[in-house]
Amino acid sequence: MTQRRIPYLILAPGLILLILFLVLPLISTIFPTFFNGGFTLSNYTSFFLDEYNFSIFWRTLKISLIATLICVVLGVPTAYYISQSPKKWRGLLMSITLFPLLTNSVVRSFAWITILGQDGILNNALMSMGVLSKPLTLLYTEFAIIIGSVYLFLPLMVITLVGILENIDAEIMEAAETLGANRLIAFVKVILPLSVPGIIVGSILVFTGSMTAYTTPQLLGGNRNIMLATFLYQSATALGNWQGASVIALIMIVATLIVMKLFNWVAGRMDKRGEINA
Amino acid sequence: MSYVELNDIRVSYDNKTDILKDLNLSIEKGELVSLLGPSGCGKTTTLRVIAGLIEPNDGEFLVDNQNLTKVPVHKREFGMVFQSYALFPHLTIKENVAFGLKLRKEKKNSIDKKVKDILEITGLEALSDRYPKQLSGGQRQRVALARALVIEPKLLLLDEPLSNLDAKLRLSMRIEIKRIQSQLGITSVFVTHDQEECFSISDKVAVMNKGVIEQFDTPEEIYKNPKTEFVARFIGFENFFDLTPTEDWKYKAVDGTVFLSNRDWEPGKQTGTIRPDDIEIAANTTQQTTNMVSGVIKVRTFLGKSYQYEVETSIGTLIANKADDVVYQVGDAVTLSIPAHKLIIV
Amino acid sequence: MRKNISLKIFAGLVFAFLLVPLFIIIVTSFGTNSTIQFPIQGFTLDWYSKVFNNESFMDSFLLSLQVAFIATLLALVIGVPAAYSLARHKVFGRNWIKSFFLSPTIVPGLVVGYSMYQFIVIKFQFPIIQGLLLGHFLICLPYIIRVVGSTIEQLDFSIEEVSWTLGCTKLQTFIKVVLPNITSGIFASFMLAFINSFNNIPVSQFLSGPGVSMLPTSLMNYIEYNYDPSVSALSVILMLGTIVLMFVIEKTLGLASIS
Repeated sequence: MTQRRIPYLILAPGLILLILFLVLPLISTIFPTFFNGGFTLSNYTSFFLDEYNFSIFWRTLKISLIATLICVVLGVPTAYYISQSPKKWRGLLMSITLFPLLTNSVVRSFAWITILGQDGILNNALMSMGVLSKPLTLLYTEFAIIIGSVYLFLPLMVITLVGILENIDAEIMEAAETLGANRLIAFVKVILPLSVPGIIVGSILVFTGSMTAYTTPQLLGGNRNIMLATFLYQSATALGNWQGASVIALIMIVATLIVMKLFNWVAGRMDKRGEINA
Repeated sequence: MSYVELNDIRVSYDNKTDILKDLNLSIEKGELVSLLGPSGCGKTTTLRVIAGLIEPNDGEFLVDNQNLTKVPVHKREFGMVFQSYALFPHLTIKENVAFGLKLRKEKKNSIDKKVKDILEITGLEALSDRYPKQLSGGQRQRVALARALVIEPKLLLLDEPLSNLDAKLRLSMRIEIKRIQSQLGITSVFVTHDQEECFSISDKVAVMNKGVIEQFDTPEEIYKNPKTEFVARFIGFENFFDLTPTEDWKYKAVDGTVFLSNRDWEPGKQTGTIRPDDIEIAANTTQQTTNMVSGVIKVRTFLGKSYQYEVETSIGTLIANKADDVVYQVGDAVTLSIPAHKLIIV
Repeated sequence: MRKNISLKIFAGLVFAFLLVPLFIIIVTSFGTNSTIQFPIQGFTLDWYSKVFNNESFMDSFLLSLQVAFIATLLALVIGVPAAYSLARHKVFGRNWIKSFFLSPTIVPGLVVGYSMYQFIVIKFQFPIIQGLLLGHFLICLPYIIRVVGSTIEQLDFSIEEVSWTLGCTKLQTFIKVVLPNITSGIFASFMLAFINSFNNIPVSQFLSGPGVSMLPTSLMNYIEYNYDPSVSALSVILMLGTIVLMFVIEKTLGLASIS
């Protein structure tokens, strides 16, 4: 055995397991969707031409996009606040952010069921204050899925951004202020552009996460607000439509890849710092 | 009333220890004043108080008879050059320099003109479309300076601007800064811990220690007549010995040797100090007169153009430098004379 | 000193948004009512004993622990040497192989579970439990490759060269010099992989059957038909587990190492 082969022998078990249990299963489920006698794209064209299917696809994109935007808006100032706090506080604030992230997603969705339900905390509070006379329908709506997704993925956004913002020289903000920018303008003109790489990475995580999440739409969306992941599960189990489930599976994979490429492309366009960050 | 006035400025982060203790400083229009001192002496804090980046606990800060103590940073209209340069990495050189002007909502051609002019003065025209990452340290330094100057600031603040440059560049940049500063006649405050740099560039120097200004004078005055032991030590006086003032405006050392000094006689001052270069060293003469002590050479160090001798004398160990025309050996008995016009009493 | 009140309030609200829902769960788990109420009327620990007496919860809890532990261990055994090889050896197509090792994070979890169910359980008639283990192995592997890989890259290569000059073989060097210096990375990746496997739903969703149900799946099924504080109680128990884990990580490595 020559020395040169050793690395490949070390890598082989992992590669073989990945091929056997990730690649082959994917191929074997997705490959048949392209064949109906001969090669065909009809399964995919008919998926998108079907109004119901397309509405699910569209809802998935819309909800993911809104959740991502909200995570950016909430995440950037919060991450900036964490990155600017003294060291001893930063650890605590990071723990507060990490805690929900490491808590089971069923638990996190369940929390919102108790808050948003017909007989939930929010409705009860608003009615006892006399703001409402009858409960609002909040649970099992797109709104509930959005809140649930934001709740699920905001910590990821914040943690990604803190990593970037911590590395921005504090004097840069001060320099902007000495040049006549108040805090808000300095933040918008300096900190925000510099955190773009973090926003992009965070957005990829939030967007693809919301797009493929199963728990949140299942628990908070109900039967009327199906998203791609719940649609896949429903097609495969309740409807026994394996072909349809496989079509959705590929659409989810491709959509994920496209979103990643798209965000990275945007990042490349916006990050005009002359050189790539070392 | 001076152009810039700091009156009884006190800064404390925890209200127990003061970073600045009732600091007073007056700067005339057009002057370049340096704040000199070791790290932790409060010089950067003073600069940041002036800039508005730190709000003092007590005291007031005036420019041109206007009280600016409570005015926020972005309304003070001072230019500041940071130690790290703090250039905006996402903006080109031109955009970096135009940043302050754009915030002032000036007209586009006026901005373009001003940016072009300042880039010319600082020799950066050719680099205007590059990004900070593509520039060398000295070029970034110039951009930081241009960005601070282009807003025509009432005050230019420089926080150790040369400390990140190599020795050669440091030398040329400080000449450059002085040239631009006097060309534009802009009142400037310069923070540094390097005394040579500070003396060469400043009209006046404030030597700081532990939150107070120990001496505020012209560089020549500080170099020749340090007022306190701290200032003397900081600017290169290495020999210190105890003296007792006597009735006849003289001083007496511990071994009884009498010293005269050309400096004003003050009963409160009891330490004599002299630079190693100013001590004259000669072969031992038995005849002892005033301002002379004898001793034995303990250590000899070759410094290149001269030798340094550590001499043990009856008033303590003294260090003397002497050119290599006459060379003494370790163990030689020598006489040191301390000229009255070079002896400083602090 | 200069403070920014509006930023502080904004961040405070976001932290409240993150914590209040979990706080509500904790409170409701002690309520005496048979449905979830907030604020609670009376105080009881009954829901906790109900959780511990619920066989399906307890069985799936044990199963989850076992699956997560075995899958993480398997991922470590295969992933640590692979991560080392990718960091240190000249391997043809290194970046491609690395992306391939990380690819299970790119494929949506539900799709992973679905295709494995189709391929392994239906086509090749493997027992579900084996599919479940392999699926969770796939979840764990990228964490090991990423965290251990970056730890090795930060390790000074010359200490390995020194070890060779002192007469150690490459394998001895890996065991005696490299491994002791990357224990923190291995530990961090173990924790991350374990907690992600334990919490995972999408992959397990398809890979469950009679007697084979992971805790999050059981909990989810329970929620679909019940709305009582025993769910809160179980949630609190899971949160306690998270807190213990975070505490252990903080004490050994610092939480910063996993974020």
